[in-house]
Amino acid sequence: MKKLLSLVLAVAMLLSMTAFAGAEEPIQIKIWVAEATVDFTAQQVEAFKAANPDYANIEVKIEPVGEGDAAGNMITDVEAGADIFGFAQDQLARLVAAGALEEVEPGNAEKVKAENDAGSVAAVTLGETMYAYPMTSDNGYFLYYDKSVVTDPSTLEGILDQCRAAGKNFYMEINSGWYQTAFFFGAGCTLTFDSNDAGDLIAMHADYASDKGVTALKAMIATAAHPAFQNGSSVSNATNIGAIVDGTWDAAAAKEVFGENYAATKLPTVAGFQLGGFGGFKMLGVKPQIDEAKLAACDALAAWLTSEEVQIARYNAVGWGPSNLVAQQNEAVQADVALSALASQLAFCQPQGQYPGDYWSLATALGDDIIADKLDNADDAKLLETLQKFQDTCEGYLSK
Amino acid sequence: MTDLDFLKLSKPAKIMYRCRQFFVNLPKNFVGWLKGIGQFFVRLFTGIGANLKDIVTTFREGDWKTRLSYLVMGFGSFARGQWGRGLLFFLFQTVFNVYMFMPNAEYSGCFYLGKLSTLGTVPTQKIKRVTVYGDNSFFILLYGILTIFFIIAFLYTWRLNVKQNKLAEQVLKAGKPLKRTKDDLRSLADEQFHKTLLALPTLGVAVFTILPILFMILVAFTNFDREHQPPSNLFTWVGWSNFNQLLSTDTASYGNTFRQVLFWTLVWAFFATFLNYFLGMLVAIMINKKGIKLKKVWRTILVMTIAIPQFVSLLYVSKMFAADGLINGTLMRWGWIKEPLPFWTNATWARVTIICINVWIGIPYLMLIATGILMNIPADLYESARIDGANAFQMYQKITLPYMLFVTGPYLLTSFTGNINNFNVIFLLSGGKPLSMELSGNAGYTDLLITWLYKMTVNDTNYKLAAVMGILVFVVTAVINLVVYNMIPSVKNEEDFQ
Repeated sequence: MKKLLSLVLAVAMLLSMTAFAGAEEPIQIKIWVAEATVDFTAQQVEAFKAANPDYANIEVKIEPVGEGDAAGNMITDVEAGADIFGFAQDQLARLVAAGALEEVEPGNAEKVKAENDAGSVAAVTLGETMYAYPMTSDNGYFLYYDKSVVTDPSTLEGILDQCRAAGKNFYMEINSGWYQTAFFFGAGCTLTFDSNDAGDLIAMHADYASDKGVTALKAMIATAAHPAFQNGSSVSNATNIGAIVDGTWDAAAAKEVFGENYAATKLPTVAGFQLGGFGGFKMLGVKPQIDEAKLAACDALAAWLTSEEVQIARYNAVGWGPSNLVAQQNEAVQADVALSALASQLAFCQPQGQYPGDYWSLATALGDDIIADKLDNADDAKLLETLQKFQDTCEGYLSK
Repeated sequence: MTDLDFLKLSKPAKIMYRCRQFFVNLPKNFVGWLKGIGQFFVRLFTGIGANLKDIVTTFREGDWKTRLSYLVMGFGSFARGQWGRGLLFFLFQTVFNVYMFMPNAEYSGCFYLGKLSTLGTVPTQKIKRVTVYGDNSFFILLYGILTIFFIIAFLYTWRLNVKQNKLAEQVLKAGKPLKRTKDDLRSLADEQFHKTLLALPTLGVAVFTILPILFMILVAFTNFDREHQPPSNLFTWVGWSNFNQLLSTDTASYGNTFRQVLFWTLVWAFFATFLNYFLGMLVAIMINKKGIKLKKVWRTILVMTIAIPQFVSLLYVSKMFAADGLINGTLMRWGWIKEPLPFWTNATWARVTIICINVWIGIPYLMLIATGILMNIPADLYESARIDGANAFQMYQKITLPYMLFVTGPYLLTSFTGNINNFNVIFLLSGGKPLSMELSGNAGYTDLLITWLYKMTVNDTNYKLAAVMGILVFVVTAVINLVVYNMIPSVKNEEDFQ
């Protein structure tokens, strides 16, 4: 019995000694990226390790979590969330307010500012603080159309009539706060929010409740009332499609649907003004860490994954348009039909800043009211009143 | 009114009378209920008093073993040779003490209990670039409740320990032998077997049902939302202000929207329950009729809707009714309509569409239930009715319907409650849309309370209001259930069909 006990003790001691010997535990990093880029990211992580022997001992686990879900999941449970995660810029303030984002390491921040386009830098910055690494500059929308149906994509009225004549549908998701701004911003309205460094939205600049806003709203009502109009922004969910306002992520689907007649261009004009919109960005964020070594590793890895070479490689692998200025000049990027349509549209767009989460639902509510014909016979005063209410509700979302 | 008068009334008059009686009796019942509560507290306090008195007398009259047990639980049992019981008492006390006064004060029961009144005061800090988390309000609330549970359990066990000593002394005084551990174990497998069986389920219910419910109720009184989210931010108690926000009617509050959603929830539950019920019964009667051929084929076709998962069928149907969907497309191609019908975009259309689609998925269930019950109705009832010259409708009204209502009364009630919380159908068909600027809190015209609650938690991280809504949903369903349960024939006239 005693022998057995001593044996057990000896084994236990040996085990604990080996545990001590390997005290330099590998740093474990969890990454969330969109499903399409999981393999790509895995390759780049290996390349990172090969290029940085200091970090050869990190253990990286990559999980497919879409940009939309990533922010929600992080906010629900910060501690269980990923250390590095991809998301779209509209989630930034929300993530910072929930304590799910660490500031970009000051050394990296300088570099990010110098190498990426101004819009994407503005999109990752709250107040004076930079919170994420810009990854793409392709979150915008423009017009995909069927060349045989739409021969002149210069005016929205013309496109609608041409679709109607061919018995086709024109798709635009006007009950989305994202696509809606094409009308409002195009007509010259503004709606922006200022945030402090903690991610709280503290001020609003808006003039929706104005003559310009009424012009935009009237154009939306007229568009929604046109028989060829359908509310939607996904090629795969559309039927009988003649033209659609959509983004680069649907380029492959659009190519397949339109076949030889595939074409893309900037948004048309409506009621005499050019449709505008949001220029959007995807970014990589790092979660606040309680361990300094791990934070350094996360920073280095995130910087690597958003560097010039990796952005070009990402474009070649999955077609995401780069935010890096040098990468944007790459030949392959320049030759892309959808990306160059986006580039010409971006000239009329504003970089998308921070919006309160409730703004998106409110915009859907306004869009639903338009589609439900509630505003069809409204006079200017009534329209102005609706916009005033919209604006006041937005102001109510500011942090108190 | 005497019983005889009541029996003379016609059926609708009887129901009216009962409804009236319910409200007439309401004040009386309410007073009775209050009295009951009062009596409960009186009993509670006298009970506590008696217990305290017993504890004191046990100490005064007990021997030193008993007295020492007051400090070291299980000592008396040990000293008298009941080592099994003694060990359990002692272990429980040790675990309790360790949990409450752990050296690592961060995680002890006392730590959580002490912070429960504020839900944490130490904010999260940054030291250079490293994050140092402060108090976690979420865990403080959760473990605070758990600690209170634990303290109550400890007090109960301590009292049990005192009682055991008194009992043992009495038994020894009477000259009888004490129960040994072996006897205890045997009795747990025999006359106390119920305790053995129920120990685990009871623990499970306490930890996985009662604790979370209590937690959610308490969240309704905090400001736990996206701006106060652990671990980076603290949340704290705010009293009744969340209830105020959801119920009051000033413009910044959700009162009007709440009433709108509640109204639609009740309308929906009413139609989803009764329309399905009567149409399902009708279909069953039609298929059951003599002379109908291929009965099994008809039933199989209907049951097919059950066989396909709702996730598939509802999402598909929702797409079918869309403005660019199959139905609008076909109607336009035939030239019947010029513009797509606003199935999902107009509030009233959307509501009616949902109710109709729900009929399609609800009828098969009711048909199956009704078929079984219809076959059970004695055929001689119909035969004598026919001889008396009753027509089909009279037979339905006097025989089939009362019988069905009697048997399926409780089912109707549960399905009404189920429909109030029918998340799947609404969420998959319309997702609560259309929204409107006339509603606040991101609610849509087809949102039920439960789907609105879902949006609040998942999209808006507004846990405080969601908790309030959860409580209100419970209140609504509880009131309806209590009122209706006391009026359905299965409860009122238990002997009718026996």
